[in-house]
Amino acid sequence: MNLLAQAAPNYNFWAAEPGSARLWIMILVSLLVGAGFYAALFYAPSRIRKPIVWTFTFAGGLFYVLYWAWPQPVSYHPDDIPNGFVENVGFWLHDALPRVADISNILTAFLLGLGIYSLLRIHTGRIVKRQADRGFSVVFFIAMLAILVFGYWDWSLREADTKGLLQDSANWQLANFGQNLLFDGFLQQMDSAMFSMIAFFILSAAYRAFRIRSVESTVLMASALILMVSLLTLVVTNWDSGVANLAKNVFHDSKADPATFQAGYLNWMKLSSIANWLKAYMQVPALRAVDWGIGLGALAMGLRLWLGLEKGGVSV
Amino acid sequence: MKTEKTGFWQKLQNVDRRVLYLILVVTTSVLLSPMFANISIPDDPEPSSKALYYKLMSAPDNKTVFVQSDWTISTRGENAAHLEALLRVLMSRHIKFVIFTVADPQAPGVYRDVIRTINSERKSEGLKEYKLWEDYLDLKYFPNAEGTLNAIASDVRKAFGGVTAKDPTTGQDRNVFESPVLANVRAVSDASLYMIVTASSSIDRAVERLNEKATLALMCTGVIGPSAIPWFQAGQVKGVAVGLRGGLDVEYMMKHGLNYGSDPKTARWAGHESQVAPPVSEGKSLARANLYFLSFHGAIILLILAVVVGNIGMFVTRKKRTA
Repeated sequence: MNLLAQAAPNYNFWAAEPGSARLWIMILVSLLVGAGFYAALFYAPSRIRKPIVWTFTFAGGLFYVLYWAWPQPVSYHPDDIPNGFVENVGFWLHDALPRVADISNILTAFLLGLGIYSLLRIHTGRIVKRQADRGFSVVFFIAMLAILVFGYWDWSLREADTKGLLQDSANWQLANFGQNLLFDGFLQQMDSAMFSMIAFFILSAAYRAFRIRSVESTVLMASALILMVSLLTLVVTNWDSGVANLAKNVFHDSKADPATFQAGYLNWMKLSSIANWLKAYMQVPALRAVDWGIGLGALAMGLRLWLGLEKGGVSV
Repeated sequence: MKTEKTGFWQKLQNVDRRVLYLILVVTTSVLLSPMFANISIPDDPEPSSKALYYKLMSAPDNKTVFVQSDWTISTRGENAAHLEALLRVLMSRHIKFVIFTVADPQAPGVYRDVIRTINSERKSEGLKEYKLWEDYLDLKYFPNAEGTLNAIASDVRKAFGGVTAKDPTTGQDRNVFESPVLANVRAVSDASLYMIVTASSSIDRAVERLNEKATLALMCTGVIGPSAIPWFQAGQVKGVAVGLRGGLDVEYMMKHGLNYGSDPKTARWAGHESQVAPPVSEGKSLARANLYFLSFHGAIILLILAVVVGNIGMFVTRKKRTA
């Protein structure tokens, strides 16, 4: 219990000082033990593997189920002494939560490793088997190695920079420039370029496919056009103040105020009002309904995974 | 062989997509050029943006703000404008902040670029630069959003307890809670605001786990906006800036304030006249969102034209066929 309730800055068997040799040894040992456990699980027969996987899945899920279902300590303070069994368990769950989050963070970080392993396996295979497009795999390896080397080199320099000199690019060295070029110069710009392609596809699709062929598509298009125009503040501010002026001068609406775009009874003619109505009464309820369905599906799927009922998972 | 004569609309129906792409590139690029850079776009901010700006400007300056920056460069068009505006407001008010992500390993690199940009901008204007450890903390990346947000809600001292940062006075790594930024934070409720800048559904996780513990506010992409607005309507999120328009809203109020004096350009919030927020007192106000918005106008107008022209073409062609 003390293990789970430990306060972080205390260095003990479970926590070493940042940057110390002991920490590095602990990381190495943990990695080896983790890899060994993973390998053992990988090669174990499925009749042994499945109960192990299910036990861990169930234990992980059970913690969070208990955390939400169990009465929580009111006005909790670390120095409080729990009173009775219910409060004892409540305190334990409360204390253990950050440590469980740490474990889940570490497990999720391992997924990154799994992704890298998967990429390495696929691209190595492609090069070794001399498959078509293996040139791209070579580019992948060069790019990955370059950003790995420059990334760690830059990081180690920044770790050693006790005076914060590297905050200023005038003091940068080759590693810092290299990391900057690879991350900011290449990776980010390529990422941005990939995403911006969506605009081209949307324009092309709007031109060729967005057609009024039925009542439904007409309603959809009218709503879409109103919402798109409502994003054009140059148009909206002029239209809305025009409506306010109309209310004031033509209809003598005493509540209209062109200075603040308030149009009294003619508010419904304002573009912003129509767009807000569409969003509040059409778009949001529809999205909530979809979210509700997704939520129910996620709950059902979560229960199946937790209880080991999912086929292809731990059930036979 | 008899060839049928193709009319104008029929030709228009068969325009090569590369021509459309070229028109889009030219329109958006020209409107991004320096000759349009200083144009101030008129705006009447959305109510959710007004609520956000009021929260930002009324947050006590002696309390820390938590910033969860869950975006990468692919949504720079919207989220960079959001984060820049947010940090400009915080820095102009000398509010300390912690920044981290629960979404993507690339996110810390991206938000560090934004901080560096604003710091160098402030330096060139002769304003105080924000210093790591003293003024802000970079807690980096937490891979599991669900677990991390649960831990923050339960006990922030334990959730971030293992994180260290370099103290520039000694050059040594120290626990982040020894920094002036987090020294007075014992629970997430001690932060005046918990800001989320996101391009994903991480707002849903935050509302589920932190809603009762922290004052949440959101700046998100246009895609995420519609599913996040109900959180605002329900009062679970105190303010929302949606998409590039939301970024422009905040920048506009940074320039002209909210319900501020008799300035005819100030944003007025009907029914909330008592909620007054002045413009920012130092640094830039109209920046990235304002710069992008004219180009955005061009792209949207082009999109509307494409839909309209495509449909007229279809109707004319169909009419000719039936005639």
